[in-house]
Amino acid sequence: MTEQLGGTVDTARARGVAHPADTPVGTFRWVYLWHWPIRAMHWVAALSIMLLIFTGFVIGRPYYLPAGQVTGEFFIGWMRLIHFIAAGALVATVIVRIYWLFAGNRYERFNALLPVRGRDWVNMLKQVKYYLMIHPERAPHYLGHNPLQQLSYTLIYVVAAVMIITGFAMYGQANPGGLIRGATLWVPQLVGGIQNVRLIHHVLTWVFLIFIPIHIYLSVRADILERGGTMSSIITGGRFVRSDEEFVDG
Amino acid sequence: MLMPTAVPWAEDEDLGSFLERRKVSRREFLGFCAEITAILGLASTMAPQVAEALQAIRRPSVIWLQLQECTGCVESVVRTAEPTIGDLVLDVVSLDYQHTLMAAAGHQAEKALQDSMAANRGKYLLVVTGSVPLNANGVYTTIGGRTAKVILEEAASGAAAVIAVGACAHWGSVQAARPNPTGAVGVGDIVKDKPVVNIAGCPPIGDVVTATIVHYLTFGRVPELDYDGRPMFAYGARIHDQCPRRANFDAGQFVEEFDDAAARKGWCLYHVGCKGPATFSPCPIFMWNTRTSWPIGAGHPCIGCTERGFWDTMSPFYTRMPNVAGVGVERTADVIGAALAVGATAGVLAHAAATGVHRVRERRAGRELPVVSGPNAPPPPTTPPTNPEGR
Amino acid sequence: MATTKVVVDPITRIEGHLRIEALAENGRIANAWATSTQFRGIEIIMQGRDPRDAWAFTQRICGVCTVVHAVASCRAVEDALDIRIPANANIIRNLMVGMQFVQDHVMHFYHLHALDWVDVVSALSADPARSAQIAASISPWPNNSATYFREVQNRVKTFVQSGQLGIFTNGYWGHPAYKLPPEVNLIAVAHYLEALDWQRDVIRLHTVFGGKNPHPNFLVGGMASAINLDETATINAERLTDIHDMIARAQRFVEQVYWPDLVAIAGFYKEWAAIGAGTGNYLACGEFPRADIRDVESLYFPRGIILNRDLGRVHSYDEKAVAEFIHSSWYEYSNGDAAGLHPYEGETKPNYTGPPTPWTYLQDEKQKYTWMKAPRYEGKPMEVGPLARMLVAYASGHEEARALIGEALGKLGVGAPALFSTLGRTAARGIETVLLARQLPRWYDDLVARIKGGDVRTFEGSRWEPSSWPSEARGYGYLDAPRGALGHWVRINDGKISNYQCVVPSTWNCSPRDAQGQMGPYEAALTSNHPLVDPERPIEILRTIHSFDPCMACGVHVLDATGKVITEVKVQ
Repeated sequence: MTEQLGGTVDTARARGVAHPADTPVGTFRWVYLWHWPIRAMHWVAALSIMLLIFTGFVIGRPYYLPAGQVTGEFFIGWMRLIHFIAAGALVATVIVRIYWLFAGNRYERFNALLPVRGRDWVNMLKQVKYYLMIHPERAPHYLGHNPLQQLSYTLIYVVAAVMIITGFAMYGQANPGGLIRGATLWVPQLVGGIQNVRLIHHVLTWVFLIFIPIHIYLSVRADILERGGTMSSIITGGRFVRSDEEFVDG
Repeated sequence: MLMPTAVPWAEDEDLGSFLERRKVSRREFLGFCAEITAILGLASTMAPQVAEALQAIRRPSVIWLQLQECTGCVESVVRTAEPTIGDLVLDVVSLDYQHTLMAAAGHQAEKALQDSMAANRGKYLLVVTGSVPLNANGVYTTIGGRTAKVILEEAASGAAAVIAVGACAHWGSVQAARPNPTGAVGVGDIVKDKPVVNIAGCPPIGDVVTATIVHYLTFGRVPELDYDGRPMFAYGARIHDQCPRRANFDAGQFVEEFDDAAARKGWCLYHVGCKGPATFSPCPIFMWNTRTSWPIGAGHPCIGCTERGFWDTMSPFYTRMPNVAGVGVERTADVIGAALAVGATAGVLAHAAATGVHRVRERRAGRELPVVSGPNAPPPPTTPPTNPEGR
Repeated sequence: MATTKVVVDPITRIEGHLRIEALAENGRIANAWATSTQFRGIEIIMQGRDPRDAWAFTQRICGVCTVVHAVASCRAVEDALDIRIPANANIIRNLMVGMQFVQDHVMHFYHLHALDWVDVVSALSADPARSAQIAASISPWPNNSATYFREVQNRVKTFVQSGQLGIFTNGYWGHPAYKLPPEVNLIAVAHYLEALDWQRDVIRLHTVFGGKNPHPNFLVGGMASAINLDETATINAERLTDIHDMIARAQRFVEQVYWPDLVAIAGFYKEWAAIGAGTGNYLACGEFPRADIRDVESLYFPRGIILNRDLGRVHSYDEKAVAEFIHSSWYEYSNGDAAGLHPYEGETKPNYTGPPTPWTYLQDEKQKYTWMKAPRYEGKPMEVGPLARMLVAYASGHEEARALIGEALGKLGVGAPALFSTLGRTAARGIETVLLARQLPRWYDDLVARIKGGDVRTFEGSRWEPSSWPSEARGYGYLDAPRGALGHWVRINDGKISNYQCVVPSTWNCSPRDAQGQMGPYEAALTSNHPLVDPERPIEILRTIHSFDPCMACGVHVLDATGKVITEVKVQ
């Protein structure tokens, strides 16, 4: 089991670090899928998106109304501060993710973003049937993301990008001569005014709220049904697989 | 303006007669010209020419076209404080054509327009209020039997600068709101060969209009403009960032309903639809009508009237978000979003339940769901197992 | 003598775009046609919108009558949704509409109408001392010194000598129809300038309650300006004092400058009391409710109709008897052009059939010639506006109006029939301005008394949320605006406007001929014993047209020029 899992630049090997995946364990092997930057990016994004959703809704429609004088109160101010910091963290994850499109292994690189081969699309259909419990046994096996995952995660990347762009378009208004404003002026012009930017930013929040429960559920479900360590892979970076198991992307 | 003081040179006359009024004699004036000529390093024989040039300084001509509009912008300018409309008309500029105020009518009025355009070609300032309807060959607005488009193109061709005053001239405003039955467009859509200054607002604060004109006359150029042609000195900052109620916003103190306890405290109007966070306008600083008040100051949310397309993009005026197009008033984005999120969660639960039921059933049928990896996983079947439930 | 074709386009010193075509014969006007040359389509734009936003859209019909459409719209929606606004909100609206009347009428007189009667150039030859004498004899106004008039005269002199006449270029200066002595011209010119400053001050009342002018903000259900004597950002004693003083200055200017000037100038033009009578039918929908617009009996200006100049009888007004015709208008009806449609059934389909631009003489083309529809009441053309209101008030026994009308007629030495004229229209405008200038302090006192009594409510919010509305509703909001009777009709379906219509004063007054050949009030007035001495300089036409104070954007606000408005709209 000396499979080369790295990209053109296998950073782990390049640094002389031994891969846990190189060690066979009984009839199982441990496959190292997600490098630590990807895992860190995932959890930072998860946390920041949670914060962004919460503070975003508070800013959009605060229900808590402090009484009395303004002095000493800065509730919405704090919410906005957290929102902007979390937004910065999310942008950082984007940078990491983009870098890792170049530096990552085959499960992390460009070709893992979208189902590109005809076979992948067939497999995606099979995956859908699997979730619908139609011939679940025919579902293809993937080490990394299956085509349905690829598509949905990439969709979330796109949504996150739109959120970031629309967010900065609104943020930039506070400093009209500033760089952010200048870099995002095309946004309101593209969508017919800053109010529409606001609407898009607001509506797309719901995409995350729809995605998150499905994402968690399917991950947990896969972990339980497939016993493949899906959940732990995003923590430890790898999963155990049977040595003789065939993988589409193996 | 009623009591002209101490004879300042209000440019209401050429320099020669002004000096005369100041009791400056011709001889003193020529002496002054000789000095200036020397300072400029010109030959002393040039002094008479300098005198002539100085004496001929005239009030700049302003031609004001009123196209498809409601005259509110003119009224707004008539309310200005500095300079007042009286000062502007009598002392600062020569307002050669302006429907609402001019004495002449009919062909005498049109002659005044033609004469001024001819005499000041390339030098006059063109002010436009109102939009230009393009549908039906432009017959939706005609003056003197000619369409607004023809009149504007003619007047713009000889103008030194064009100032589009108000939302109509800026982008079409209310008549250009969906579905724009007359095909109304702004001045900038017609005049392409020279810069158009957009004084945004429905109407704009009159002082912004006069200040822009004065800026042009004083500094010899139009003020710096933002991406939409609006002068930075007036539209450079967002209402939200200049609002005296911003502290209430940051504190989370909001009016929930008009005339509630918060409204009577003068708290933030964000919840009742204020578009201040989306609107660039000097209202909070310049204020309206000789700095008496401004919309938010009088308890009403901003409707965003200085932004292009505000009739469609800023409405409904009393909600923070626009409606989702094609969906009813009550179906806001949040209702739809929440429904989908709840649906997704419910779907997840239902799917989990279905998975459980499926497993139990499969187990009873003596089969396990395939375990794709792990110690108990069967080898991948080569033929699909028969399905007794016929599913 | 030959017939001369006369075209006056643009008519200036009005709101909007108006074209008059006339035939002049032997120094008189033999025939006349009024053409509205602008169309905007606002009622179409209203469809599908939130009814609570409607006031802002309709307000943009006109920036001169800037509060009237907004208030009429709020009233229509409040009528449809059965909202009763708090008493304070009604008083604030009365104050705002009342100040609009006062400011607008004074501006109309000095800045739109005066140059028809006042020769600015002649003022240069006036003796300022004599002007001061005359002014002092008719008014205690403090700015009546010879020094003051001399300064004004010098200013004008400097201006004229600059050779750049600006807005005064090509006026009909020196026309024989100007009859004022130079000294009176100088007084009028001084007050022309003074009124420019005055109007800017008093209209700030709108800014205090509505945040800005033009286009102050209103609110369905009341007013957004909360009252709290103990807060900075609300209506408090500082704001109230400002309003109090504005009202005082408004009243003083009206009583000491406008009204004396009007009477004095009218004295030189008495022959115009026999010119420009018009249709002879007058309609007033009434204005200034004491508490609620549904209480028609409480209106300060009464509602009613005068027919055939008969002041002995006031007919009742019923909006159901209004119908609009398009015989001469660039529209089409689905049932043909002959029928008249009530606004609720109205249609607004523009259909331009005129000649290509540029126009020369529209009447050579015959038939349709304007964007205005022709509203008729029981088939009759109606004049609306200050004259209609004052006639109805007079005939209804309104005591304050009767006293003031009597005073004016007495000073001019003419009888009541003189009211039916160009001069009568201008005088009626002054009379109602005086009435309102005296009424404003009373409303102010009412407001203060209510606040003192502990009532600070300005908004009724129980029907604010669309969920509290019936799925279908319709309402009628009226307002007798400075230029005359205004009506807004709204239909609301499932929380959205399904149909919105306005019938506007200038639509009544500027209406074209109907199928029976009945002229609209402008046309009728221009052909009622009407002189036109010099067809090249048709100052007489301006006098009569300006006496109506045309507001063309209103008239056509919509697509329809007429006031109809908004037609039934089908919602998709």
